Order: sequence, then C-alpha cells, then structure tokens
Amino acid sequence: MSALLEIRQLDKHFGGLHVLKHFNMTLQAGEIVGILGPNGAGKTTLFNLLTGFIPADSGEVMLHGKSIRQMKANAIVGMGMARTFQLCRPFIGLTVLENVLVGSLGPRVKHHDLGERAMHLLSQVGLADKAQQASESLSYGDLRRLEIARALATEPELLLLDEPFAGLGSIEIEALSALIRQLHQQQHLTILLIEHKLREFMQLVSRVVAIDFGEIIAEGSPSEIVNHPRVIEAYIGKQNPLDWDPHA
Amino acid sequence: MKTFKGLDAVSSWAGLAALVLLAVMPVVFTSNYLVGVLTVAAIYGIWSVSWDFMSGLTGRENFGHSLFIGVGAYAAGFLNVQFGLGPWWSLPVSMLVAMVFALVLGFPTLRLKGPYFALAMLSSAVIMQRLMLIFWEYTGGEEGIQDITPLIANHLHYYWFVLAVLGIVTLLLSWLAKSRWGLILRAIRGDEATCLAAGLPITHYKILSLVISAAFAGLGGALYAHYQLQVSPQLFAVVTSITVITMVYVGGMGSIYGPVGGALLLTVMTEGLRDFGEWRLMVYSMLLIFILFFLPNGIIAPVWHKWRHKGQQP
Repeated sequence: MSALLEIRQLDKHFGGLHVLKHFNMTLQAGEIVGILGPNGAGKTTLFNLLTGFIPADSGEVMLHGKSIRQMKANAIVGMGMARTFQLCRPFIGLTVLENVLVGSLGPRVKHHDLGERAMHLLSQVGLADKAQQASESLSYGDLRRLEIARALATEPELLLLDEPFAGLGSIEIEALSALIRQLHQQQHLTILLIEHKLREFMQLVSRVVAIDFGEIIAEGSPSEIVNHPRVIEAYIGKQNPLDWDPHA
Repeated sequence: MKTFKGLDAVSSWAGLAALVLLAVMPVVFTSNYLVGVLTVAAIYGIWSVSWDFMSGLTGRENFGHSLFIGVGAYAAGFLNVQFGLGPWWSLPVSMLVAMVFALVLGFPTLRLKGPYFALAMLSSAVIMQRLMLIFWEYTGGEEGIQDITPLIANHLHYYWFVLAVLGIVTLLLSWLAKSRWGLILRAIRGDEATCLAAGLPITHYKILSLVISAAFAGLGGALYAHYQLQVSPQLFAVVTSITVITMVYVGGMGSIYGPVGGALLLTVMTEGLRDFGEWRLMVYSMLLIFILFFLPNGIIAPVWHKWRHKGQQP
C-alpha cells in the first residue's frame, strides 16, 4: 500500500540558517503521528513547507503519490491536506458559523447545504450554541475548536495540527484531546501534530518523530522516544524530559 | 442562514423608499440647482459603493479609484467627441476600459502584501493624470475633452436615470456582498493566510472584486462626463479618490449601502456650507473630523444596523 504522505529529502534554509536538513518521513493513511522537538527545532517550518505556505529549497513532498511541492497553499487543501495554526487566526468580523462556512467554500467540498454541514461540524466540536457569536468573542479554548472545525470543513484526509493544546488549561486539554482522538477513530482521519504538552501528546499519538536542529534524531513509539538518549539530550540534557512513565 | 439569504426585506424596502424620496425631492422643491446637486451626489454614490465593494469588503484600500473614474470619463469623451459614436455607447465601453485597467494593475499588485497595492494605485492615478497633460494633442491637455453630448437632455430626467443606475448598482453589489463571494471577500479582510488554509485562491477573488469595482467606477465616470459635458485631467486627482474614501468612511465601510448615504450627506453638506464663504472648507473639515472622531464606524450603516437590531441580544 502506498503512503498517504511521503516526504523525501526536504530541505530549507532561512538565510544562513539551515532549518530543515534533508528531512524524510512517511505517513500511512489512518495514522496519528506526533512531531516532537524543542523550540526552534523546525517543526512549524515543516508544517509551512508541507502546506505550501513557504517554498522548499529542495526535496519532494508526495500526497497520494502526487507531488505537491510546487503547489500553492490553497491547491494543497484541494488535494486533501488541511492545517491549523500555532496562534489561533479566526476571521475577525465574521461569526463562528461564517468562519466554518468559509472553510466549506474551497475546491473539495461538494455538499449543497453548506449551512447544515457547518452546523454539524460546530456540533461535533461543541460550538453549536455559539454559532451566531462573533468569532473574536470566543475563549482561547473555543478558538482552538473553531480552528479544527474550519479545517474539517475543507473535508481533509490529512489534518495537520500545530500545537493544538497551546494556551489551554488542563480541563480544556483533556476535552480537546478526546475530540482529536474521536476524529481519528470515528472519521479515520490521518493526523500529524506538533505539541509541547508532552504528557497529552504522548497519550494521543501512535508514533513520534523527534527532531532537533532541523533533522530527525529519533523515531518510534512514545515509550521508545521518551527513553531515547538523543531526545533526552535535546530536551534537558540529563534525564527523562517528560517526567512520564509510558507503562503507568 | 443569514449569509446566504441575500438582502433582507426591510433593508430592500427602506432602500427603495429612500430612492423614491430622492426622486420626488426636485419635483416638490422645483429647483434646478437641487437637481444638479443631487445628480452629482448620486454619481459620487456610484463611485463610493464601487470603492466599498472591493476595498471595504477585503480591507485592501484603493487610493487610486480616480484612475477608474477618469478612464471611464475619458473613454466616454473619446468615443463621443473623437469617434463620433452615440452617447449611449459610453456606458458599456467605459466599464470595459476600466475593467481592463483593473485587470492590468490588479494582477501584479494584489499579489503583494503590505501597502504596495495602495501605493501602486495611487501612483497609477497620478501617472495617468500626467499622461493626459503630456499627450495633450490627443487628450486636450488641461482643457480636456469638451462638447460631449448629453445622454438625456432634460436635467431632471437625467437625474432620475442616474438615480436608477445608483439603485441598481447598490442592489447588485449588496447582493454580491451578501453572497458566498462576499463572505470570501470579508474573510480575506479577516486573515489572508487562513483563507489560503481554507483552500481559497485569494488573489483570484481580489482581482475579480477590483475588476467589478472598476467597472462601476468607470460607469460613474461616463455618467459624470455626460453630465458635465466635458472631462479634464483633474478627475484623476488624488483628491477625487480621497473624497470617495471619506464618503465611504462617513457612510460606514463594508456595508455597501452606507456609502450612498455618505455621498449624499457630504455632497449636500458641501453645498449647504456655501453661506460660510471662505470659511466653508474649514467648517467642512471640522465637521468631518467631528464625525470621524465620535463615530469612527460612520453614520449611516451603524445607525441603520442599530435600529434594525434594536432589542436583540448583543
């Protein structure tokens, strides 16, 4: 079976800084994979490269076996890859419902009743009762859910979540974690996520790719990664960075 | 669902009532002067709603709207005086010429981030004004093109015609603004990167909205040329664009119908202040500063919106 996403020798410089070094990775359909790495490791740059927000210097990105490296960001969404941002970016001036509707106006969506579908997505993420509110009036936790609903509105097969738990409290993280798990299990959505909240991250993903200074330093199951000497070194240099026992 | 319904009935009826009121005013007051003021106000209304459709909805401010107004007016002048075509040809051709200019300018500039679009449009209008002077053999230089044939000889009938055009343009652009397309334009104003992440080709939408905006600005330019019966390079001046933008701000940006009220209010205010003589401009500026300071979202659209949603939960 061919991979859903295949990244080959992807390379990126910002001036003299080599932010991504000949990056290779494969993602099978239905997987939920985490990208782990300290600040500045190149995680968000990788997302920006994959989604066409910045151009790669060299390498190849294949989605469904087709090259998407030269494609524009909006065309990549049409191929079935959607993303959220590290900092929530709602459409200021639009209601919560309108924010989701905008996601439905892209090239992949073939539904006729977009309003009904947008309301269904808002119900799914728990925002149906706030549909007519201005998006800027939402709490940060609700904005995270809105971002996910808008990404789902594009009907993706692969969802890229950039630090979905950032800025959230423990109760909100637990609820959002359950939502992501539900999307993965019930809709068979393939998910690639970056996160710093390592405890929740490790419980959510089935495989982890750890990167540092733009290159892969370890790859494996969460339990393998937490005890990997290079990951420990990259994080704090001495001991298990996660303070987390995978067998607990 | 609000966004896909189009115009709501109360707003449509209110708009129609306002148009009827404006149409009967010169009949009631039987004043040729009033007909002239209201004709110019209605033409400014067309320019304002056309500016608001692109810049008010997307947030990409066009400081060179006078370019489209000017090329529309000159297209009318050239066709009528130089080529001897009937005046009615001016209307479709001026729209077409303005659309071509919008396409040529919008294609490279609307891809850019930051203030480059605004600067490019501003510069283009200034360059076009200078070109009208440089190629004076063809354009008439400072004098411009004179002796343009009127579309309709009777001034009152012409006013009614311009008013009808204003009504149709406002209705059409309001409908577009409330459609899915309008929603995309408002989303572009909200965040361009998120629009890309939603799979939307934003440059395509921005260029198309500029082309539509230019078409109606050009149409207004032709109507102005056939009212003044002459065109001059002054039409391309920055002050024309600034006046239109001020009218949009006073009316309520992004509402489409608000700028019509802004255009009427400011045109009538300019005329009403003639009694102040040399102090007129100062009083006008003070009033304008007062409005923009205390009502930064404008007057017409916010007041109408507040009245329509009176008693509703915020």
